[in-house]
Amino acid sequence: MRLQKSSLWSVVSTLVAGALLASACTGATATPAATEVPANTQSPANTQAPANTPAPADTVAPDPTAGPDFSGSATITFVQEPDNLNPLYTTMWFSALTTQFWLKGVWSFDDQSQPYPELAAEIPSAENGGVSEDGQTITIRLNPDVTWSDGEPLTADDFVFTYDMVMSDQNIVLSRAPYEDYVTSVEAADPQTVVVHMNSSYAAWLTTLFTVVLPKHILEPVFAAEGTLDNAEWNRAPTVGVGPFVFTEWEPQSHMIFTANATWIRPPKLEQIVVRMSPDDAAQEAAILAGDTQIGAFLDASQVARLEADGTVQVAGTPGGFDESWFLNVNPDTAHPAMLDVNVRMALALATDRFTIVQDLLDAEINPVNATFWDNTPGYATETLEPYPYDPAEAARLLDAAGWVDSNGDGTRDKDGVELVLRYITNERELRKNVQAVVQQEWAALGIGTELVNHSADIFWNDFTNGGPQAKGEYDIAQYSSSPLGPPDPEASDGWRCNQIANADKPDGANWQGYCNPDLDALFDQQAVTADPTARKAIYKDIQQVMYDDVIYIGMWKDPDLWSIHETLHNVRLSGPTPFWNAAEWTSDK
Amino acid sequence: MATLTADPTATLEPAPIAEISFKPRSPSELAWRRFRKHKMAMVGVGVLVLLALYATLGGMLWSRGYCAPVQATLSGEAWANCNDTGQKLQGPSREHIFGTDAIGRDIFARTIYGGQISLLIGLTATLVEVVLGTLVGVVSAYYGGWVDSLLMRFTEAMLTIPSLFLLIVMAKFFGGKLPALNLLGRELSGSVVVIIVIIGITSWMYLARIVRANVLSLRELDYVSAARALGVSNTRIIMSHLLPNTFAPIIVSSSLGVASAILSETYVSFFGLGVQVPTASWGNMLESAYKYLASAPWLWFFPGMLIVLTVLAINFVGDGLQDAFDPRG
Amino acid sequence: MIVYIVRRLLQAVPQLVIISIVLFALMQAIGDPISTLGARVPPRPEEKARLRRMLGLDQPAYMQYVVWLIGNDWLKLDMDGDGVRETPGPRRGILRGDLGNSLVTRQPVVTMIAERLPNTLLLMVTAEVVIIVFSLLIGVYSAIKRYTPVDNVITAGAFVGFSMPVFWLALMMMYLFAVNFKRWGLPYLPTIGMYDPAVGQTLGEVVRHMVMPVATLSIISVAGYSRYVRASMIEVLHQDYIRTARAKGVREWLVVYRHALKNASLPFVTLIGLDIPFFLAGAVVTEQIFGWPGMGRMFIDHTNRSDFPVLMGILMFIALAVVVVQLLTDVTYSFLDPRIRLN
Repeated sequence: MRLQKSSLWSVVSTLVAGALLASACTGATATPAATEVPANTQSPANTQAPANTPAPADTVAPDPTAGPDFSGSATITFVQEPDNLNPLYTTMWFSALTTQFWLKGVWSFDDQSQPYPELAAEIPSAENGGVSEDGQTITIRLNPDVTWSDGEPLTADDFVFTYDMVMSDQNIVLSRAPYEDYVTSVEAADPQTVVVHMNSSYAAWLTTLFTVVLPKHILEPVFAAEGTLDNAEWNRAPTVGVGPFVFTEWEPQSHMIFTANATWIRPPKLEQIVVRMSPDDAAQEAAILAGDTQIGAFLDASQVARLEADGTVQVAGTPGGFDESWFLNVNPDTAHPAMLDVNVRMALALATDRFTIVQDLLDAEINPVNATFWDNTPGYATETLEPYPYDPAEAARLLDAAGWVDSNGDGTRDKDGVELVLRYITNERELRKNVQAVVQQEWAALGIGTELVNHSADIFWNDFTNGGPQAKGEYDIAQYSSSPLGPPDPEASDGWRCNQIANADKPDGANWQGYCNPDLDALFDQQAVTADPTARKAIYKDIQQVMYDDVIYIGMWKDPDLWSIHETLHNVRLSGPTPFWNAAEWTSDK
Repeated sequence: MATLTADPTATLEPAPIAEISFKPRSPSELAWRRFRKHKMAMVGVGVLVLLALYATLGGMLWSRGYCAPVQATLSGEAWANCNDTGQKLQGPSREHIFGTDAIGRDIFARTIYGGQISLLIGLTATLVEVVLGTLVGVVSAYYGGWVDSLLMRFTEAMLTIPSLFLLIVMAKFFGGKLPALNLLGRELSGSVVVIIVIIGITSWMYLARIVRANVLSLRELDYVSAARALGVSNTRIIMSHLLPNTFAPIIVSSSLGVASAILSETYVSFFGLGVQVPTASWGNMLESAYKYLASAPWLWFFPGMLIVLTVLAINFVGDGLQDAFDPRG
Repeated sequence: MIVYIVRRLLQAVPQLVIISIVLFALMQAIGDPISTLGARVPPRPEEKARLRRMLGLDQPAYMQYVVWLIGNDWLKLDMDGDGVRETPGPRRGILRGDLGNSLVTRQPVVTMIAERLPNTLLLMVTAEVVIIVFSLLIGVYSAIKRYTPVDNVITAGAFVGFSMPVFWLALMMMYLFAVNFKRWGLPYLPTIGMYDPAVGQTLGEVVRHMVMPVATLSIISVAGYSRYVRASMIEVLHQDYIRTARAKGVREWLVVYRHALKNASLPFVTLIGLDIPFFLAGAVVTEQIFGWPGMGRMFIDHTNRSDFPVLMGILMFIALAVVVVQLLTDVTYSFLDPRIRLN
């Protein structure tokens, strides 16, 4: 029985063609477009200039005439797609970027990294009574003109609700910081006042409290019905928010659309913002060059020259707190014996020409060599310490003096029968591999041997229980880009505290360098409860000096976030901590 | 009529039969003759020989230069690894005839040493594939029954798992755990062995099916039944009767397998799972060139050309082999 | 025949179970979903421990497999870390139709697959049609003009195409047709995505965005398959019945297209058929570079995040498709070639 192939083929091809046409037009089911955005129907009262908001002097005064005349659209590309839009359920930077459009927190940070009130009427301080004497009570007065995008007023109850949701055991939220460790209670003193009680004068409250507020009137019913917020539709389609724009659509892996929200206290100029996903870096570069996107995010220094070549695009850098760093293992149980000697560590710093690396492989202006861990955290960068210089002769001298000489003529120094071969690990990014190759060659000339290892990201960050190479001390030098936990707040002390050393007794310890210095611990304890910035900076000066003298951290380069801005998009001022803070003022030719 | 024969004394008597002799040619000799007639295949062989010489002797003869950062003249593999960031991303010039890469290494030298790795991967991965595929195919087809069922279901199971997933899993599992090897004077990182194993394990299934199909039809032939009736052992039947007659698809498949393995190595490098830098291979040179596709084309042009030439040559040879073994050609 | 089909289907069940066990075991090597959660700064160790407990990732591997298979709503779990097992789990297991939720997006796996599958099918089926048409055309032409200079040129071109890495071809096309054509004032193609969100998902937009991905996939496959068709055609053209047809005076094009092609394309069609299950996997590299929202991209994104519910869902889906298609292929073989007996 032979099949009649020709008729079979014609039937099949007709069916296939029909199906293709159908799917091309209708496509996959997109998340539902918002139906309750009162775009142009708001009463003019909400568009008045919020004169009672004491905005810091150098920010743009809101234009009282900006009304429902939205026009233009801005396109941005992301190289990673957010996994969730509810900030409680994601730690991705790309998710946090979008909240500046549609879910403002109590305050954002401007391009000088200064706090800028959003939902709050003013930044709490000791002077205005917002911060209590002992620093343990923060009183936040809300701006009474702020409403949710569906018209419902924003009240202190929303904040209490948010706190309850974060702390609830029914919600598998990704992080309970800072509430779990530092906040004892949150109450609504009156509909416009939120009072936060802390168990100590926690200094980082400014950057961590209520960066996100959930709409109680939308989510409380969901929590009551489902017992959890984990699967709420709002998490992936947050049609009600508070900010210059409102979420409209998310087509997974393709794009997100945010439309202008006239109810926001500072109505935007643009009509919509489109975020397109472009997972491949080189494809994003092509899209930027073709003008298919007006803001490109998360670029790297090698792309700058190519992007700016034809003049349609400007690249801007923002101090996001990240520095490319070398963390040295000084744990006597796991590190190479040479690493325990501060002179050897100093020799390593002197033997590495970070200056030429930065000049040749990056851009010396965008990525200067840094001296301390906090050089890219605005306000805490060192003003006195210089990066360790490049001095191979001195390095050789230090190594000789420490007893590391090449006694057996094999080209590598040794001492007491142990060869000076250090394990230098990093993840798999090309730039880091290149730096490894350059450093290996440089050190080989000085008799320092290296074993280069590259780990994939998830293995690199594994903790002690899961065999992570850093956590277990299976390295001598680890290179990666790191920042304080929540810039512009400088808090990062767990990485160096004595009681945080990761080992079998404390497998979740965050101190992977095995460093223990009681003096440093005392300084860290002090800065954690010092809210006054000037006093805190002074403490950090001491902290940095201790770490610098002990050579447990070698700065490679400052790693600002790089953005490309197309000439058709105007008024874009990007900040480090909250890059899209002034999205309401952007205008576009498109 | 007078011009028919030059020698008027020649007779028209037929030569005695005993003097007419013809030497029977063996099948492999016939195959070789047919192969030789295939022009493109011979060109392919020539190109492959040249490439092999390039990769092996090239290092000794042509890889040398002055490495500024270490202030010495280096040669061989040391020169291929010499990085001089001040010289990065330069186009072809007299000192660097193929240009330099993103940290200033000489691309010409890296194509030579990279060629060694890529060709080695191609050959050994194919060896793994051929051994596994033939074994499974022959055993499965000859013994039949539940052995066949089991092996074929196993083959299907392997075919079900997308090779990319297998690649990623194995790369993560073995990555960094296999020690460096010392082979023929070069120290090969563990990632080379991982790649060979991975490519071999993900490509034997097709050969197994082909060999099985072949042996299935051979099994029914009279002389095999006769051998079995005579009590010849299974192993002997397999080794002397079945295997030699499946050489043709095995050889053709393995020649194409080498090309396919070299291309697989390139594909795997895109995900960062291939041979790890600083060891060069043609695949990871292409991957490093990805960011500089439009701005520094010499980074991908030369390793790319070499890959194309190798694959071309191998496929022409494969064509020739296929024609040579095909009696109806 | 019926017996054979039933027997194969029955064999398929333990086969799929074994495949799922093997895949799950392999999945343990793929990494820890909690280690970075995609963030630039990894979460604190206490948070990681809490998440592991709440997502059931602190259970031993075999237990996690059992939960994946039959759910944990019949078990009591310790969700709040106080050591007391008091809450029933939320999962019903794949045997009851619950493929679980993604660890990354918290969406049901079934929804995620259903959203991406049409996009992938659109791309892959279109590409496959283009591949079939061009492979046949080029392969047949090359076979007819065997060993002429034209054939050698086509052959060389095919090998160059075949050796091109996908990522190279994709990016080169993007630079040429999207970036440079636009600069030179020529009609140009868009760079990324399935359609421009500002314009909407119209047929025209999708077609414009589909040109380069389909071309990328096709060029490389056509290069490979056309060689296969050529070899097949050459073998068939030497058959006796072809010679007879020619001797009978049948016109050449009829000989080629009606007699030769039908028989030469049979193995080619079966080859394409075996590819079908892998349509579902999508073209990972192409989708990634062109930003096409399909299954391949989802697969690689979630592999990087070690999101094993999604990966298991996709892989089992593919496994099921492979088993079904293999069965169909074997049955079709036996129909078409009576010499092959299924026993």
